[in-house]
Amino acid sequence: MHSSCKILGINNKDRFAQRVKTGMYYAIHFCLYSLLLTLYSCRGDEVVYPTIGTHVTDEVREGGLYVLCEGNMGSNKARLDYINLHSGEYYSNWYGSQNPRQLKELGDVGNDIQAYGGRLYAVINCSHKVEVMDRKARHIGQVEIPNCRYLAFKGNKMYVSAYVGSVATPELLGSVFEVDTATLEITREVKVGHQPDELCIVDDKLYVVNSGGYITNRHDSTLSVIDLASFTETEKITVGPNPQRVRVDNSGKLWVCTDTSVVILDFIRPGKQIPMRVSNISINGSTAYVIDKEQHKLRAISTIDFMELEQPIDISSYENPYGLLATNDVIYITDAKNYVSSGVLHCYGYDGKEHWRAQTGDIPGHLCRVSGAYDLYPDTTKQDTAKAFSPYISRVYEYLPAMGQFVNVLPKYEEGDDAEAMCRKCEQAIANNAGGMICLGGWGGYVTFGFDHTVENKEGYDLRILGNAFPMSGNEAYGSSEPGIVLVSRDENKNGIPDDTWYELKGSMYDDPTTQHHVSKTYTRASDTIRNAFHSQPYYPQWIEAESITFTGALLAPLTENIGGQNVQRILDFGYVDNKPNTDIEGTSFDLSWAVDADGKSISLPCIDFVRIYTAVDETFPQTGELSTELSGAIDLHIK
Amino acid sequence: MTKRIFLILIVALCAHSVFADSEAEVDSLYSRFQIEEVEVTARALSKDVIVPQTLKGAELQRLNALSVADALRYFSGVQLKDYGGVGGIKTINVRSMGSQHTAVYYNGVQLGNAQNGQVDLGRFSLDNMEEIQLFNGQKSDIFQSAREFGSAGNVYLTTRKPYFKPDEKVHVRGQMRFGSFALANPNIGVDVKLTDALSLTLDAEYVYSDGKYPFRYRRVLPTGETAYDTIAIRQNGDVNAVRAEVGFHHYYRTTGFWRVHAYNYYSERGVPGAIVNNVWRNGERLWDRNSFVQAQWQDEWFGRWSTRLLAKYANDYTHYKNYDERLLPSNNEYTQQEVYLSLANKVQVFNWWDLSLAYDYQYNTLDRTNLLLNDSKEHFLRHSHWLSAATAFNIKEYLRMQASVLMTAVDRNMPRVTPGVFFSLRPYPAIDLSINAFYKQSYRYPTFNDLYYTDLGNASLRPELARQHSVELAYCVCHKWLTANISASYYYNRVTDKIIAYPKGQQFRWTMLNLGTVKINGVDAKADMSLFLPLRFVLRGRLNYTYQTAIDMTNPNDTYYGHQIPYIPWHSGSVVVELDWQSKRGDHYGLNYSFIYVGERYSQQENIVYNYVQPWYTHDLSLYGEWGIKRWWLKANLEINNLLGQDYEVIQNYPMPKQNVRCTVAVRY
Repeated sequence: MHSSCKILGINNKDRFAQRVKTGMYYAIHFCLYSLLLTLYSCRGDEVVYPTIGTHVTDEVREGGLYVLCEGNMGSNKARLDYINLHSGEYYSNWYGSQNPRQLKELGDVGNDIQAYGGRLYAVINCSHKVEVMDRKARHIGQVEIPNCRYLAFKGNKMYVSAYVGSVATPELLGSVFEVDTATLEITREVKVGHQPDELCIVDDKLYVVNSGGYITNRHDSTLSVIDLASFTETEKITVGPNPQRVRVDNSGKLWVCTDTSVVILDFIRPGKQIPMRVSNISINGSTAYVIDKEQHKLRAISTIDFMELEQPIDISSYENPYGLLATNDVIYITDAKNYVSSGVLHCYGYDGKEHWRAQTGDIPGHLCRVSGAYDLYPDTTKQDTAKAFSPYISRVYEYLPAMGQFVNVLPKYEEGDDAEAMCRKCEQAIANNAGGMICLGGWGGYVTFGFDHTVENKEGYDLRILGNAFPMSGNEAYGSSEPGIVLVSRDENKNGIPDDTWYELKGSMYDDPTTQHHVSKTYTRASDTIRNAFHSQPYYPQWIEAESITFTGALLAPLTENIGGQNVQRILDFGYVDNKPNTDIEGTSFDLSWAVDADGKSISLPCIDFVRIYTAVDETFPQTGELSTELSGAIDLHIK
Repeated sequence: MTKRIFLILIVALCAHSVFADSEAEVDSLYSRFQIEEVEVTARALSKDVIVPQTLKGAELQRLNALSVADALRYFSGVQLKDYGGVGGIKTINVRSMGSQHTAVYYNGVQLGNAQNGQVDLGRFSLDNMEEIQLFNGQKSDIFQSAREFGSAGNVYLTTRKPYFKPDEKVHVRGQMRFGSFALANPNIGVDVKLTDALSLTLDAEYVYSDGKYPFRYRRVLPTGETAYDTIAIRQNGDVNAVRAEVGFHHYYRTTGFWRVHAYNYYSERGVPGAIVNNVWRNGERLWDRNSFVQAQWQDEWFGRWSTRLLAKYANDYTHYKNYDERLLPSNNEYTQQEVYLSLANKVQVFNWWDLSLAYDYQYNTLDRTNLLLNDSKEHFLRHSHWLSAATAFNIKEYLRMQASVLMTAVDRNMPRVTPGVFFSLRPYPAIDLSINAFYKQSYRYPTFNDLYYTDLGNASLRPELARQHSVELAYCVCHKWLTANISASYYYNRVTDKIIAYPKGQQFRWTMLNLGTVKINGVDAKADMSLFLPLRFVLRGRLNYTYQTAIDMTNPNDTYYGHQIPYIPWHSGSVVVELDWQSKRGDHYGLNYSFIYVGERYSQQENIVYNYVQPWYTHDLSLYGEWGIKRWWLKANLEINNLLGQDYEVIQNYPMPKQNVRCTVAVRY
């Protein structure tokens, strides 16, 4: 476009030059004005929207927070911002930095964002798509769903509510779509009520509120119950006019926000109705935080007795309180201002103190806390270098300890925690070099974790995995060793979930004749009766609802010997976790080239995404309890 | 036409202030063969208290413009909102006060849209337009209807009037235009002289375009590398429109006339919508019918007292349907009716002092039917009254002055009074230099949408107030081989109680509030000139430049306090250069070049990088020839628009067409 300006300049100059010769003074004006216009401001290349980093806090926390700003309809200004909670750097238009080549950017009107299975999913309502990204928000793919609204996940499936179905009905009914997260294909669809909004899953049932938001004076007032197995609507529960939100608390009760009240549905005991008009809700632990849109206040309600709790955060100065996310440590609330200009994201401690605030895009509506902490390097156009990755564990996918004296303690189980909550607690202990520790319990108990990147199999050792082994003084061949076997896996189906083939890293005992492979053992809740003197809590994992758990794997022969009246273990050569002390770098390092398949055949893995560790011995002592592998972290040796 | 009528014209010209309202008639009664006389009237206009910007006659027809909206781009201080294509909505905003502060008059009667207060100027064809005038403030002559005193800016559209030579009874005009994007635009007009004093005009037009124009989105990385580059075709931008008009004009005695004008417009069009990620076509359709009949009667008594009566009935129907199954389904019908009556009187107390008094009444209704929910038919109505008093006097050649007071009463709201004062000072009558200044207040009343829109309305809205201050320096050169008008004006406007949509309480429930304050400072510079060169060449030029700041002063706590309001560029301007050659037989050949520039601006209230919109500018070229063969007259015109194919947007996400051509052939008998 610069060339066009030049052409104009020359043409005008020539044309006017002749006139100047004829002495027309106003012609000079023409010329000057034209030149002025030409020179003043030419149209240049349209550069992609920049990503701007602002340091908003010195506070150091783990992970990051994605902020999906809706943008107004037709403006194509949905914007995904991100704050690195570790460095305190707030990045507006983070998505742009990761996907500068995305045609017409993120899209029109962001409506929901969730992290699941190591990926990010964002609903872009008026672009009729669910944007699928990796955990750094790099585009992976998209699922085309017309007028999509909100997300829920279970297993390897994503559920998306949408105001319209694949076939429009005269009654204007909406649908819930089931999407396979591996293939990003729609697998099933079920018609629900009018304009379904939020949805959530409890056990094998999906609940979705039918807002009827299109029809002002005739809102829908129901909650559809969908049986996930048959994917049919089994029931419609009347909850109240214009229900927009439904959340599940840690005891499985549903919290539905309608236009007139908060309705709590408890499928075991009678529920409760709180007459309060609520615009947003976020449940953390046993407290539901709500924005009371009439009183313009943040309120806290106990999920146990539904009593209102004291809470000191004051949002009365907000123009339009909008987004809300209560986490274990802090609470995030956004102010959407007048909806057509930048909003503000506030972060408060539960003591009411404001920690920091950041200017967001238009209508910051949806927040998603993630474990990854990333920063952007000055050259936003360069794809990530290895530097941007963390060498430490970023995520715990599964934590299923076998019965043991430290189970329900390391990490601590609290009433209401589910498997997901326990994984988060494991992350707090061992992810991002936190230096804590988790216990895998007796034989078979395991944990599955991953990094914020794929670990490459390079020459030499690839991983270090830390435990709490220590040697016996004076006799280095013995010590406190509670060996765990390492399994690794590649995300072959690219769904971000560890549901792929596992390969064992062959340790020094693999071919030993005393080692038994393919062993199974079942622990039952009923058998959880024996306690030792030091640990009196239940030993069976309390967040597991099943009455028994069966583990399968390899079992090493007993290692314990009594030397000098002390029970110590023979330290194994290599290839086991929590076997050698953390100070022994080589002894705690692992090479992905050791991988073997189920038949013991060596397999060459170029890289891996998931690591699983399970306790490999089955020995219990009356005083000191069972041998159980402890894990305190892992490091990708290729990331500096 | 008789000599008697011609005499009236001369009288009218002389007694400009006495009969100036019919000046439009006067000009239009001249045929294009009397260009020189028209130039004279142009000069006379510069003696007005308020100097309008004018485009008329041959100059208007030779512009690269299809609709009235296209032509208004060449005026200074005007910002056009254009959603692209033949069918895209086009509205104007004068001196940044908002499009609802600008009134549009069709043959002297305001075009209304009580629903949203906006008139889509893209629907008014230039083919039967004789003259377009823009007055900042108000019209120069105080002999006007009361409502005309009520707007901050006024656009007057005057359609072609019949002119007959003594031996002529019928004129027939046929025109065909083709162009890019399947544009087909036939137009016919018939003028019949029924008696010496009574004439009839008919004009009919059809416009079709499929609106399928290519557009391109290209973005680069900061390194200059292409980020993406895509070309697509605009979809659902088709338009089918029929316009038919009939007018009767009757002149009697030497002073009186009446005329009746009926107008009917019907269109069906697609609403192409915003281009956003993953959405390249939309499914909304719009059907419109605009019909009105207006009558005007005017006479003069005792040589000093003039009276005018205006009456209008309008009936507009809009049907909006969304076929896009992915979106909110909607199927709405809107019917608007308007009855308007106006009585204006003017008395010339002395030759140097005029007084006028006018009263207008208007009744508006709006019926909204949601065809999806058959029960939700809604009916709104409004009564409005205007009473104006105005005076004009002059002190010899040195000073002309006009002052007016308008009282407006809408429904049962408290009546409001707004004054206006206008001066024109000519310190040296020998030199055509004048200093013009005015101060005016005007209200923009809330529309039916503002008051009653389902989720939005706020029945207790106050009207929005605009205060204008303007000073202009104008200079006119009239020479045998050169005429030139140069002027520069500075203006300061303040809009308070600005009606804006504001979110309140519930999510996505907006309400309209009197919240905004905008301060506007601007400079307009304009020049037009005609240079009569040897060998019957004429070089005409027109230059407009506007610099303006329009600053949001609502609340210092807003992030956009002190920022330029959306879509108002700091710099804008246009250049038109036309070279015309007349053969000895009187045929014309010419070349017209125009350049329009709209500078950088922001698409939202905050002036931040995410809202930045680049400047755009287009180069347009047209070539024409006009031939007279006996009683036949032939014209051919070829236009090339956006010559360099710039990819630009006036409104974000609404791409405009790249290069496009139009070809017009017209015959007149």
